[in-house]
Amino acid sequence: MIPKLCYFLKLLVFIILNNLILKLKLNIDGLLVYFPYDYIYPEQYSYMLELKRTLDAKGHGVLEMPSGTGKTISLLSLIVAYQKAYPLEVTKLVYCSRTVPEIEKVVEELRKLMDYYTKQTEAKNDFLALALSSRKNLCIHPEVSALRFGKEVDGKCHSLTASYIRAQHHSNPSQPVCQFYEEFDAVGRQVPIPPGIYNLDDLKDFGRRKGWCPYFLARYAILHANIVVYSYHYLLDPKIADLVSKELAKKSVVVFDEAHNIDNVCIDSMSVNITRRTLDRCQTNVETLQNTISRIKETDAAKLREEYSRLVEGLKEANVARETDMYLSNPVLPDEILQEAVPGSIRTAEHFVGFMKRFLEYLKARLRIHHVVQESAPQFLKDIYEKVCIDRKPLRFCAERLRSLLRTLEIADIADFSAITLISHFATLVSTYSKGFTIIIEPFEDRTPTIANPVLHFSCMDPSIAIKPVFGRFQSVIITSGTLSPLDIYPRILDFRPVTVASFTMTLARTCLCPLIVGRGNDQVAMTSKFETREDFAVIRNYGNLLLEMSAIVPDGIVAFFTSYIYMENIVASWYEQGILENIQRNKLIFIETQDAAETSMALEKYQEACENGRGAILLSVARGKVSEGIDFVHHYGRAVIMFGVPYVYTQSRILKARLEYLRDQFQIRENDFLTFDAMRHAAQCVGRAIRGKTDYGLMIFADKRYARADKRGKLPRWIQEHLTDGSLNLTIDETVQLGKHFLRQMAQPFRQEDQLGLSLLTLEQLQSEDMLQKIAQIAQQA
Amino acid sequence: MDEEPERAKRWEGGYERTWEVLKEDESGSLKATVEDILFQAKRKRVFESHGQVRLGMMRHLFVIIDSSRSMEDHDLKPNRLTSTLKLMEYFVEEYFDQNPISQIGIITTKNKRAEKLTDLAGNPKKHTAALKKAVDSTCVGEPSLYNSLNLAMQTLKHMPAHTSKEILVVFSSLTTCDPANIYELIKALNGLKIRVSVIGLSAEVRVCTILTRETGGSYNVILDESHFKELLMLHVKPPPASSSSECSLIRMGFPQHVIASMSDQDAKPSFSMSHLDSAGEPELTLGGYYCPQCRAKYTELPVECKVCGLTLVSAPHLARSFHHLFPLEAFQETPLESYEGERFCEACQGELKDKSVFTCLACKKVFCVECDLFIHDTLHCCPSCMQTDRTS
Repeated sequence: MIPKLCYFLKLLVFIILNNLILKLKLNIDGLLVYFPYDYIYPEQYSYMLELKRTLDAKGHGVLEMPSGTGKTISLLSLIVAYQKAYPLEVTKLVYCSRTVPEIEKVVEELRKLMDYYTKQTEAKNDFLALALSSRKNLCIHPEVSALRFGKEVDGKCHSLTASYIRAQHHSNPSQPVCQFYEEFDAVGRQVPIPPGIYNLDDLKDFGRRKGWCPYFLARYAILHANIVVYSYHYLLDPKIADLVSKELAKKSVVVFDEAHNIDNVCIDSMSVNITRRTLDRCQTNVETLQNTISRIKETDAAKLREEYSRLVEGLKEANVARETDMYLSNPVLPDEILQEAVPGSIRTAEHFVGFMKRFLEYLKARLRIHHVVQESAPQFLKDIYEKVCIDRKPLRFCAERLRSLLRTLEIADIADFSAITLISHFATLVSTYSKGFTIIIEPFEDRTPTIANPVLHFSCMDPSIAIKPVFGRFQSVIITSGTLSPLDIYPRILDFRPVTVASFTMTLARTCLCPLIVGRGNDQVAMTSKFETREDFAVIRNYGNLLLEMSAIVPDGIVAFFTSYIYMENIVASWYEQGILENIQRNKLIFIETQDAAETSMALEKYQEACENGRGAILLSVARGKVSEGIDFVHHYGRAVIMFGVPYVYTQSRILKARLEYLRDQFQIRENDFLTFDAMRHAAQCVGRAIRGKTDYGLMIFADKRYARADKRGKLPRWIQEHLTDGSLNLTIDETVQLGKHFLRQMAQPFRQEDQLGLSLLTLEQLQSEDMLQKIAQIAQQA
Repeated sequence: MDEEPERAKRWEGGYERTWEVLKEDESGSLKATVEDILFQAKRKRVFESHGQVRLGMMRHLFVIIDSSRSMEDHDLKPNRLTSTLKLMEYFVEEYFDQNPISQIGIITTKNKRAEKLTDLAGNPKKHTAALKKAVDSTCVGEPSLYNSLNLAMQTLKHMPAHTSKEILVVFSSLTTCDPANIYELIKALNGLKIRVSVIGLSAEVRVCTILTRETGGSYNVILDESHFKELLMLHVKPPPASSSSECSLIRMGFPQHVIASMSDQDAKPSFSMSHLDSAGEPELTLGGYYCPQCRAKYTELPVECKVCGLTLVSAPHLARSFHHLFPLEAFQETPLESYEGERFCEACQGELKDKSVFTCLACKKVFCVECDLFIHDTLHCCPSCMQTDRTS
């Protein structure tokens, strides 16, 4: 493989040399790629090569590259170049990211790239790229956009733009409508949005200028845009995907960035949790429906009859509704869209309401149990048939039928009906999928067995169900992140066959990350968060000593992660009693992440302030929490990350157990393998927070002796593993302090860009040298 | 002071990986590269000093020495404080040797306070004595960067604009306890054109990075004792004057040393002006330097006359600062492989083993790295050129 590759690369050198190049125009395997920076990292080059191969093969890819090495720009420049070169092969890039700030970042990179294109080619740019987000982020209606919660905004928007509201407006001008939507509907569709790069603010500006609604404009424009940047949910959550992404062409390339948690996103989007409160609210919903129906029957019986006949004809026709009405949608996947007519038993409005009432009563009865029940979907269906004579078929149409009913009843404020919508989704899902789901009814939480708090978990166990249509529909799907190790597990749990699976390391001019595994205290007592010993006094004291010692030698910010909130509370309380906290506070201030979002963001802000002005601070947070996922600790905000313990999921949870069982039976993944994989990806995420680029540096301290085992260590991303030598395993606190001190002094030495040049940062000439090309070939590791 | 016993026994001290310094890293990554970078920096210094730049020859420097709890750390032997003070003594000597018309002052900070150890003065003896005395002081509490910088600034801001105003902070702690926003102070320092440099003893602290970047100073963190010394010595050389600083002619007096013998009837023992207000016992001396303007007597030069404010220096002092203005040209660097000729350093006669050799542009003689640095940093003239000068 390698000699062949070398030969191939040699050929490549010739191809590149034939181009006379200014700045950075790269030749990636025969494709001219414009790269909007003066220098390129070797791994970016390698990444683009792999990406190109994936696109050529029209297949899916799994690519792991550490954060801070310019994944986004590599992806964008290659795919845009591909689109330009082969406009018929790849028509659209769908870039999925997790959060709004990340979406904005992608758009900014894209803007840079496009500026470079226009400068170089001097042709008029005909590219349209835009970001799409929820109404909350895009609304410009003065009243609606003032609302604070997404749901409120959605509901309010719906009450101003629904088709029947607008119809009423025609006859009765005092009925308020959204003038922005009216304007857009009148002219916006004929005039295409001019080519360019639009982030959310640009869209809003454009909308304000034209008086058009930016949200609907964006939703309409993604159909012909070249690049769409939006959140995962628009593709993965079938409830939304059906509305937004239905008409995207097959020849699109879909990129999931930061995709290490993609399986959980898939599962969440298909799972339903029903509590007693949901049912109570649902009850009120049903009553409202009933009242409305009886009222309408008196005033406008024809409308209900009309609906009835529509339902007889079948849902297909009934669905040619307006875009704004599609607020509630079917949770079932597009390829399973029901073609048949709605069954007779729920066709009339009264019957349907009666049906829902029965269903609701049944659920209530089920929640009234005193022991835990776990059953499969077929079992549930059989039971419901026996108890209340509800058939499978009408259940399947529940969501569809509810949608139709709400439309007919012209209920403006849909937000109130979230409870009944949830129930109807549950009904449809439970009757559609017989495999991959489980139903667990728990009468109380495990931690509080005396307080009755019944919950019905309808839990998806198979992430491939939600993502399957994505893999099926689009020709290339790229899953990429900084931490995807071990690479082979993602194709297995998502059930797809990738053409490229590769992991890239960070080429560094200096070793700027220092992973250390601390296994013992100075008293030689093993440090571990293992269940049996986690409450051990000595373990807690040693953890405290570790933090204390580190606080004395690490400058500015330290982020410490615990395995759970409860564990953190216990430990911190114990540290307080032992006086460790007091000692730590002499060196640094302490901030704590809590479950309250506002409190946490306040703590974060103060933490950063303390890092900024030299006082130094420690942030105590929780793996899998908000801090561990979304927040970066660049440079001085995170000079060291300490991971106290291995962040296993709560293994006693029945949902997890069911999922593990399913994984074992269906995908032959052993429980332990999956648990370790899951724990290690979160640990890697946590420690990865500190290194956000090549000029950044930080200590990564794994404080648990179990990390030293090969099965744990082997599941860390390659770019961390590479720096984990035998000398940094199972250290004592003292040794850690010495190594840390040494490392921090080394890293504090002046480091300029010139030092990186040629090693980890390449100019074009350097990139063309044969040595470098050979080195680059080693960066990518095929899994 | 050398006999100062270590506070802890060796076996009570922390675990140390002393072999790390000596060990050759097989993977060739960390140590090798960092050292390479350091080597490059060393060379760069030689080049940087070259060229026609205006230097701030008249310097007012405040040295802030952190005396907080962290100074008791044993990673420098016998501990950080003793080691630092010892090096400071050396630094003060070197400083006055190279900058005869400059002044220095020392501030210590501990327990969230800052106090002046010595005021700005041009007399090395006073500073060295103070430094020697400070060894016995205890290190407690946190340092306060703000308070100490503020204290230095209060004095420095009254200094004339043509002088170079500098602060050098030896910062051991990783935290600072400040009464107010330090960024405001940095702005003020920047406005007063006070240059702040920091030598960190443990790791890179963000606020120091900003502080030095904003005020145009340098920020370094020591690796070990010898590196510490090297970094300190960097501050011996006068820094380039900022282009906006004023130019002015300075009046200076060159007093002759008058030696009066006891036999001389007119000679009466008298006090030196500089000793009058010092805490130590004033001594009666016979001879001394007399200010050409007001005839005040001083026993040591350089000094600023207490009476008329004239700067009194001796001619050799000024001559010694001469080399800063006309430094020896940098030698040409060639890789060892491409160098043909005798493999001996002209200066030390050692074998050339490093990866590059250095050729004097004037006499074409070759030197090793160490000698190259020695020649440029200390001798300020090429020994082989001097020899040929003399012989011709």
